Amino acid sequence: MIAVRSAPVQLIARLRAGNERVFYGVAGFVGLIVFWEVAANTGIFRKSLVSAPSSVWKAALTDFGNGSIWPHIAASTGEFAVGFLVSLAIGIPLGLAIGWFRRVDYFFNGLLAGFNATPNVALIPLIILMAGIGFESKVIVVFLSAFFAVVVTTFTGVQSIARRHLEITRSFGGSRWLAFRTVALPSTIPYILSGIRIGAGRALVGVVSAEFISANQGLGFYIGFFGVFLDTARVMLGIVLFGIFGVVLGELIRVVEHRYDVWRPELHR
Amino acid sequence: MRTEHLALSARGVKMQYRDRGTGNVLLAIDNIDLDVPDGAFVSLLGPSGCGKSTFLKIVNGLLPATAGEIKLHRVAKGREDAMVFQDAALFPWYSVLDNVAYGLVCAGVPRGEARKRAAPFIDLVGLKGFDEKYPYQLSGGMQQRANLARALAVDSAILLMDEPFAALDAQTREVMQAELLRIWNAAKKTVLFVTHQIDEAVYLSDRVVVMAARPGRVIADIQIDLRRPRDLSVKRTPEFAVYEEQIWRLIAGQYGKTPQPDAAS
Amino acid sequence: MTETAAFRVIHARVRKRRNPVSRWYRRNERAVLSAAGIVSFVAAWQIGADAGLIDKFFFSSPTDILAAGVAEVQKPRFWEDVKISAIELGLGTLIALVTSVPIGIAIGWYRRVSLTFDPWLNFFNALPRVALIPLVVLWAGLGVEMKTIIVFFGGFFSIVLPTVEGVRTVDRQFLDVARSFRAPQRLIFTSLVIPGTLPFIVSGLRLAVGRVLAGVIIAEFYAQTSGLGVMIARSASTLQPDRMLFGVLIFTILGIGLTEGIGIAERYFQRWRPSIDLEEAA
Repeated sequence: MIAVRSAPVQLIARLRAGNERVFYGVAGFVGLIVFWEVAANTGIFRKSLVSAPSSVWKAALTDFGNGSIWPHIAASTGEFAVGFLVSLAIGIPLGLAIGWFRRVDYFFNGLLAGFNATPNVALIPLIILMAGIGFESKVIVVFLSAFFAVVVTTFTGVQSIARRHLEITRSFGGSRWLAFRTVALPSTIPYILSGIRIGAGRALVGVVSAEFISANQGLGFYIGFFGVFLDTARVMLGIVLFGIFGVVLGELIRVVEHRYDVWRPELHR
Repeated sequence: MRTEHLALSARGVKMQYRDRGTGNVLLAIDNIDLDVPDGAFVSLLGPSGCGKSTFLKIVNGLLPATAGEIKLHRVAKGREDAMVFQDAALFPWYSVLDNVAYGLVCAGVPRGEARKRAAPFIDLVGLKGFDEKYPYQLSGGMQQRANLARALAVDSAILLMDEPFAALDAQTREVMQAELLRIWNAAKKTVLFVTHQIDEAVYLSDRVVVMAARPGRVIADIQIDLRRPRDLSVKRTPEFAVYEEQIWRLIAGQYGKTPQPDAAS
Repeated sequence: MTETAAFRVIHARVRKRRNPVSRWYRRNERAVLSAAGIVSFVAAWQIGADAGLIDKFFFSSPTDILAAGVAEVQKPRFWEDVKISAIELGLGTLIALVTSVPIGIAIGWYRRVSLTFDPWLNFFNALPRVALIPLVVLWAGLGVEMKTIIVFFGGFFSIVLPTVEGVRTVDRQFLDVARSFRAPQRLIFTSLVIPGTLPFIVSGLRLAVGRVLAGVIIAEFYAQTSGLGVMIARSASTLQPDRMLFGVLIFTILGIGLTEGIGIAERYFQRWRPSIDLEEAA
């Protein structure tokens, strides 16, 4: 008698074998949603405090349906994009210079440690005072949030270059500039991509925090506004949207990052 | 293949450095004299710490000597010496062809021309067809072939090899030794080869310069009079074993100082 | 032997005699230059402010900030604020530490559990706590408890994630050695997992420093009752940038101090790691 496993069991087994990480991650996600819904409806958690997936979904349908949420998403996305790209444009070259030139590293060392230790949030009121509650102030906050992560990961990458690789250029008589172009830059790219990923995360936190504190549109404002009105469903919706955005962006960058993993210097010591 | 010309002539080379951990000044190399004629294959053989790799790096310019001088036979164009490293020697972001061309690029040759000049060396080392592959697609032995091709492509007078086969398994290593002799015959280079394996040194070289450690110094310079061309079977002949035994005793310190061979100058 | 070919000569490097000043400089270059960096920054700021290039209205100037600081520390209100913030910070961080390490190790030890919780941990770690504040306020009001919870969240997730990763990446070889000697689970734990995870925990601590400090500030901004964060916000809204930046400076110094402290603790716990300071030998 041959035992035949039923179709659903087989499907699950194959999914699980395919990619354990995704499987358990999704399982965990689904599990939590189910738990949340049940707990909210049966009174384990007070609905007024945590809402429930069903209510969040309803709020989503409403706000996406009548388009009221789009201006907020657009505002946050715009502030994020501009601030983040500027932080990359300045942060990556600075990180490369700090990593490559020992004296530049030493000079900025203290300053970077100091700025890194300053909680950005503390500066937000000042920035808003300077630049108003609109677009510009958020861009500045996003820039500051992402900048240091980008600079630090970039120069760490340069400093992690396999010495052997630099030796090779020197051995064959190549100039420092050639070594920078042909060894340092390719070696550092995986780290720069890491920095982009981490910086993007910080930038997202920055934009939402700044909007929360003072703004008239954006996801952060959305969350704060509905928080005041005790509309927990919409607060949760804002959080969920933020989470989705963060995860999607993070995963996209990770995909690109993985393609360059082979270039990582620590694999080649 | 011997000429009266010397590819390399070293006198009184000394190298000391400060151990950052203990602060002591240590003598890595103490007074080395060495002559390598054009076209010869000379091995530097010794235990860890005897300074053989350090000496090679001084010739290559990666480390500075504290005393003494080294003369390298100047070639018309490009570098006099090219190094074949032991490990992590290919750039993962370059194809095999770009890696092999890298030595030329460093010497100032434009990329396109460097690639053209490098291409035949890929065939020479037995990697025909692998031009556009990437290092991660190559086995250890193949990567070392590419490493060798890069050094050959520079067309230097002398080839410096720093334990190039140390990271390979025993079988691949033997194959590579035979291959190296084949390539050496075809390319007609002078080779200064560093190793700690006695059979490797005896098999490959015209001369084995035996070194001791602490401080690093030459304790013997042994002429290997085995007929060329040599294939791997020569390793099992009695003459080979005699040389091996002789060198092993030197290194193990069984016999005291051996009578000094004629200085090659 | 006549030579018609020319030779390139490699000479030994002559050690130049250096005067004691340049030798001292070489040994302390890092400290000197980094101090120079900070000094240049402060000087440029002061000069710019005095010359009118930098708007004192928003940025103040180093001397003004110092003066405001001196005035501030003489007010009793200031010290009350410090006390409140310190409580929030200390309590929140302590609870975070005490809970995150065991939980992190527990999650990391069981592969399936860690895979399941990974996305959630990452999600909460990346979430700006401002988003959670309205909810926490609903749960716990506007007092010290709410702020402590916010601080706790920052610390907890910063430490849990690296801890989980640390437990999961204990070197396979060590585990094999332990198992081949039939080491009991508990011994594997104390002798392998915990020492191996320590560096990860430490990196989590470093992240946590920034997070908990930011947590105090964000929470106080919202609650508007008392604490250093409130002092900062009020100074900003009453157009006293010198006072405000003094408050920020306190957090900066605290941040640097905590980070240095972690560095010292790290060096103490990692004495067994070999230092890679030797020059190359033959």
